Amino acid sequence: MNRTPKMLNSKVAGYSSLITFAILLIAWLAGFSSRLFAVIRFESIIHEFDPWFNYRATAYMVQNGWYNFLNWFDERAWYPLGRIVGGTVYPGLMITSGGIHWLLHVLNIPVHIRDICVFLAPIFSGLTSISTYLLTKELWSAGAGLFAASFIAIVPGYISRSVAGSYDNEGIAIFALQFTYFLWVRSVKTGSVFWSAAAALSYFYMVSAWGGYVFIINLIPLHVFVLLIMGRYSPRLLTSYSTFYILGLLFSMQIPFVGFQPIRTSEHMAALGVFVLLMAVATLRHLQSVLSRNEFRKLFIVGGLLVGVGVFVAVVVLTMLGVVAPWSGRFYSLWDTGYAKIHIPIIASVSEHQPTTWFSFFFDLHILVCAFPVGVWYCIKQINDERVFVVLYAISAVYFAGVMVRLMLTLTPVVCMLAGVAFSGLLDVFLQEDSSKRMGTAISAATEVDEAEDSIEKKTLYDKAGKLKHRTKHDAQQDTGVSSNLKSIVILAVLMLLMMFAVHCTWVTSNAYSSPSIVLAFHNSQDGSRNILDDFREAYYWLSQNTADDARVMSWWDYGYQIAGMANRTTLVDNNTWNNSHIALVGKAMSSTEEKSYEIMTSLDVDYVLVIFGGVIGYSGDDINKFLWMVRIAEGEHPKDIKESDYFTDRGEFRVDAEGAPALLNCLMYKLSYYRFGELKLDYRGPSGYDRTRNAVIGNKDFDLTYLEEAYTTEHWLVRIYRVKKPHEFNRPSLKTKERTIPPANFISRKNSKRRKGYIRNRPVVVKGKRTLK
Amino acid sequence: MRLLHKTLLSGLLVVALFAIYAAAQSKSKTGLSLSEKVQNLVDMNAKKPLLRFNGPKFREYVKSAPRNYSMIVMLTALAPSRQCQICRHAHDEFAIVANSYRFSSTYSNKLFFAMVDFDDGSEVFQLLRLNTAPVFMHFPAKGKPKGADTMDIHRVGFAADSIAKFVAERTDITIRIFRPPNYSGTVAMITLVALVGSFLYIRRNNLEFLYNKNLWGAIAVFFCFAMISGQMWNHIRGPPLVHKSQNGGVAYIHGSSQGQLVVETYIVMFLNAMIVLGMILLIESGTPKAHNKNRIMAMTGLVLLTVFFSFLLSVFRSKAQGYPYSFLFK
Repeated sequence: MNRTPKMLNSKVAGYSSLITFAILLIAWLAGFSSRLFAVIRFESIIHEFDPWFNYRATAYMVQNGWYNFLNWFDERAWYPLGRIVGGTVYPGLMITSGGIHWLLHVLNIPVHIRDICVFLAPIFSGLTSISTYLLTKELWSAGAGLFAASFIAIVPGYISRSVAGSYDNEGIAIFALQFTYFLWVRSVKTGSVFWSAAAALSYFYMVSAWGGYVFIINLIPLHVFVLLIMGRYSPRLLTSYSTFYILGLLFSMQIPFVGFQPIRTSEHMAALGVFVLLMAVATLRHLQSVLSRNEFRKLFIVGGLLVGVGVFVAVVVLTMLGVVAPWSGRFYSLWDTGYAKIHIPIIASVSEHQPTTWFSFFFDLHILVCAFPVGVWYCIKQINDERVFVVLYAISAVYFAGVMVRLMLTLTPVVCMLAGVAFSGLLDVFLQEDSSKRMGTAISAATEVDEAEDSIEKKTLYDKAGKLKHRTKHDAQQDTGVSSNLKSIVILAVLMLLMMFAVHCTWVTSNAYSSPSIVLAFHNSQDGSRNILDDFREAYYWLSQNTADDARVMSWWDYGYQIAGMANRTTLVDNNTWNNSHIALVGKAMSSTEEKSYEIMTSLDVDYVLVIFGGVIGYSGDDINKFLWMVRIAEGEHPKDIKESDYFTDRGEFRVDAEGAPALLNCLMYKLSYYRFGELKLDYRGPSGYDRTRNAVIGNKDFDLTYLEEAYTTEHWLVRIYRVKKPHEFNRPSLKTKERTIPPANFISRKNSKRRKGYIRNRPVVVKGKRTLK
Repeated sequence: MRLLHKTLLSGLLVVALFAIYAAAQSKSKTGLSLSEKVQNLVDMNAKKPLLRFNGPKFREYVKSAPRNYSMIVMLTALAPSRQCQICRHAHDEFAIVANSYRFSSTYSNKLFFAMVDFDDGSEVFQLLRLNTAPVFMHFPAKGKPKGADTMDIHRVGFAADSIAKFVAERTDITIRIFRPPNYSGTVAMITLVALVGSFLYIRRNNLEFLYNKNLWGAIAVFFCFAMISGQMWNHIRGPPLVHKSQNGGVAYIHGSSQGQLVVETYIVMFLNAMIVLGMILLIESGTPKAHNKNRIMAMTGLVLLTVFFSFLLSVFRSKAQGYPYSFLFK
């Protein structure tokens, strides 16, 4: 009955769990509040493009209920095709916010669904940091976990997709991703069916939330495969993977959008293959224990060959028969990096699909990007089953992030985890002696929330150190030979670096990732005041108030979701770029002459045309700058009518001034952008018609529109709306009075030199006193 | 193997052309009629999809008036003494287009592919007032070539696909590019696998190195370095090695945040590697060793970490306009 050590133990455990709790709470709060820049500067508003669709879908679901949402056919998008929304979205996001909305209303807290949508991503960032903590704790140690949790709470690579108002799938998907990985690692460690079933459930949530679930269903099989190659097969692995795979497969097929893809597309075949392989290995293991050595060898060789050939033939035949679909373009472009540029302009045109420069890596991850190879190094040095997983995760994610800027998002969590490993390893060494003494100074020195967390959790680390493998090594040595002066210098330097990281994150978040892009702000250089351009909402509000309810608005696809979400009008194309030929048709209309595009517009029943024009304020993301993509996409479908080379000058330049190509100066997009712009003088000194975005005086100033008329132009000319005229109200070309006489076609004059006067044929001769002869 | 084949072929071609030339020489004095010209071209084409012209033949078949066929002519300088590297690539691509056309179903006597080498017909270059190579020109069936009949290789490049696109634009004949399957990748792969396999076989009694964690760790870390320093961007975009500025200086760092230079990525890779090395040294200094060694390791690690991180930060700062923070030095 030695009670005292037990009590002491429980006391220490209590402290460490209190500290853990406090740090995670602070990380949550810090992450939440650093995502609020946009709300504080502007207002609680949905950002950008895709979030507007998600918001619209969520609002529809809240209003009409879940089943109506599943069956929702949206006739306001992709006119005249329409879109089956219920079957073409990942509904996890809408269900999550709808569920929160329902819960709050049950509790009699009346919150508007918009506010839930705006704040969903910041709230989930806290959950992400908790699941990152759990995962890192499984992989390495609690200290590294706390580091990782604090890193991911504020790292810009994740904030870029989860600021308040950015209501998008990624916001909740990263949480689901990390949590699934945590449960998976836990299940591999324990080999329990419970944990792997939980992993499958979490995977189900991930599938419902984001298309990136493919990353999970390829990474986990890869993990299993590598473990098999390394000879680390164990019954735990068999249990956890087979449970996870079967349940996960069944669950993922419940999402209408995913449907039968998991058994029919190449992206999912790796998981199936590994499942079969694992079964084969398990069978062999079992036979090995039953059969004699010679028999087993024979069986192994013959059976292995047969199975290998059989599987290969089956896959090839199924692919040839078209049962298994080949890789889709987006995935294919990840492997063959030149593919998208040549074959799918619509993928290449999205800036998120560009490769990543080292600058973006450093911009999004700062010190973490330099520190995470250290974590990789130590994970490999002290390898075990779950560290194989994190190494594979890091290698694959860093490759994908290199290919596409957008996939930086999947790299961020693993970088945070591995950098956490590196930093905790570093501070383990240098905070070892007299840690209690130094703790006080460290806390007071570091004012940043983040720093405080970092230094506090060293204590927890130290307390638990005995448990962990790698730390026992450090514990063994007492005199490292590093003087305490040097130690304190190292600690200061490392804290300095971490502080710079926190400052960098805040700066990047505030400057780069907190713009709603619907409302623009610019600073006046003269008096330093801040001006707000609210042209987008002005235009959409005008549309919603002044046009018929069923009016159809044609614009480039970027603005489709916003028009549908804010103006509630029918659009032709939108950001869900599922139908390339429809987009190409709009691109063709924009890049043809007014006359030709009128034919297209009447065939599509267009009532209004909306263009974005930045020439007045120097906004660079306008339609003229996107114009070449319209031409390219149109050319892909209509190579006879649209040729990209026509829109360049002879010297191969794209310019809008007088030297520009005539096809460009007369196309619809040019005319709609620059209609009456030639009359506008922006400066007292400058020439009229000076485009600030492209720094040129426009080439085609005086023109009139025949088939369209200007309906509305916003304050800063950012959005211009035109009405398409009906056939009876064209400006008919005016004719001078003289030209209006029409010479009859079959008139032959009978006048000759004798008969100058005209006569009437069969004229009745009138004689006085007699009847006229008929 | 491929090269040998090619030289053989071109040797044959030269012989064949000489024969044709000798035959044609006697007639050309009198000037050929349209049908004779077309017949000659078709005959030549039967032997070789890409016709090789010199000055007189160019004048005869391309310049002189009675024609009802279009000509796509590549003007180039293939002789090694001319030192035109891209001419060789352009020639290969052009030959692919000509081949694809020759053996496609759209083949007719309305369109021919030809090339003129500078050393065979420098007068052609003078005639067309060209002083660069390679140039791709289209000579329409009627009239003279206009500005748009010269392919803009600076903008569209000279890949076979873009040449085919150019041809389709100018002549309305679409050519489906059929590339001879490129086995070099497969061969390289097989060689690599064979090398690795034979290496493993030779060392079969001593496979310890496969369990060497340092080796695997180094490979993984190096891969990470390659990716985070933007090698993939280089691979896809193909930026120049360095940037020459107007006043003769050489810039190693691209000025804007949107781009990067090849040397720059190597610099960044080196800086990252040094930082990582510094951190590893710091962590390793915790393990027990001889007294001095630990201290030296810790100090080296600290210096590497701080100095190279500040370097990296200052490179970053020079690329991001208005970035306010720096460490140790600007």
